[in-house]
Amino acid sequence: MNESLTKLFDDLTGSMHRQCEETAPNFAVTLERFRSSLSKTVEKALVSASASPLTEAELTEFLGQIQADDLFLAIACADGNERAWWEFDQSHRAYMGRVARHLAKTEMDADEVVDWVYGELYGTRVIDGERVSKFAAYGGRGSLRGWLRTVIWHSIVDMHRASHDEVSLDELTENAGEGAAHAAFAESGPDAEDTMIDQLTRDRYGNATVSSITAAFGTLDQHEKLLLSYYHVDKLKLREIARLAEPESSPLRDWFQRRSSNREKEPGARVHESTVMRWLEKCYAKVLGRFNEELSQVHGLRKEEIEICVGLATKDLAGGKLFRNLAAG
Amino acid sequence: MGNIENTLTGDVRFQALLEGYLRLRARQNSVPESADHLDEDTLSAFTEGNLTMREADPIVTHLSDCSFCRHKTAELVRLDLAFAEMDVAPAAEPETGTSRVSEVMNGILQKLFGGNEAAVFAHEEKPADEPQDDSEEETKDQ
Repeated sequence: MNESLTKLFDDLTGSMHRQCEETAPNFAVTLERFRSSLSKTVEKALVSASASPLTEAELTEFLGQIQADDLFLAIACADGNERAWWEFDQSHRAYMGRVARHLAKTEMDADEVVDWVYGELYGTRVIDGERVSKFAAYGGRGSLRGWLRTVIWHSIVDMHRASHDEVSLDELTENAGEGAAHAAFAESGPDAEDTMIDQLTRDRYGNATVSSITAAFGTLDQHEKLLLSYYHVDKLKLREIARLAEPESSPLRDWFQRRSSNREKEPGARVHESTVMRWLEKCYAKVLGRFNEELSQVHGLRKEEIEICVGLATKDLAGGKLFRNLAAG
Repeated sequence: MGNIENTLTGDVRFQALLEGYLRLRARQNSVPESADHLDEDTLSAFTEGNLTMREADPIVTHLSDCSFCRHKTAELVRLDLAFAEMDVAPAAEPETGTSRVSEVMNGILQKLFGGNEAAVFAHEEKPADEPQDDSEEETKDQ
């Protein structure tokens, strides 16, 4: 950060610290400690996020979104302040238990996870003579509760995986890709209609289809790819995607609104499920248009051949061949 | 097929093809756990929609390519929504059951450790019933 940014950072963090201290005077978090934590977060999340120089507006926006009181509490807890721990326990223990019980198989598992997370938050490891508290990883970018929920979620997944150690994530992410897609198209058995198409033609259509859909998908912007992936791979429902886009500073909301003439009329308007649906349909139309262009212009296929390509590929997918091949690795 | 039954218009066959491709791509792009993934601070900030524009672009790019992290954010959104709904209806079933496994966790475990393919595909989308007064005239692409 240059001199003016450093001054702005100091001014803003000084003001944030004063407010936090007014709310929680017993937490004994020094200005230096508070700034040090924020400085690390700014460096990691903001400065390194883009090659372009950080602007004053970006820094102001970022610090304006920091959950300062939550961060103040987390720093105090990381430093072992008893008053802060009491406050944390009063404010968050019940919530943590609720999240854990919602996720865990049994009450015992839930208690175990909460105890384990408490241990991590306090810090069970000592590095260079210093206790390392999990709280040090909280940067105040989201709420402390949201962060705790994420930590508990991770802990429960880890606990489950530890009890199923024969399954590794590597096995879940076995080699697959275009090769598997090509194989899937090639392996489809002949039926009455397929016998009309010889294997060479079938391979040609299969290759053209995979290559064209890859190229077409590649032309989407990252938000469009994310939207389609949430819907089709992660199976988020429209209302769940809308939920992601609900907060005013959500990147998805910003993306929806950047492309909407409605944004100036109603910048705070709700993102409805129907809005998500419309954007999905726009994405489909865009990919389909590019897909057809690729097949006709790059692969030289006629309209009726394109129809055969889609028909063959759909048949393979509907028959589950593609997914069985993937599962078999 | 997955989530596509209730999309209102368009070529359903093509959407099925696209879904197959995306699932394939997701497996291909599932990078190992040791790779650089989003940390808990970033995951929760994204899920809560609390990111500045400068932060957002690299994160969205990462999520669109990394199914490992994207799946985590998807589960966290479900969890967030489940809790929001519980908060709206606090009088609902008390949370004292000792063998209660949430739908959310079932989803996670099914995704991570396999399971009934039919169940995975049984995900259903209710038609949107919200008012249509947010209709937008989206600007031409970029």
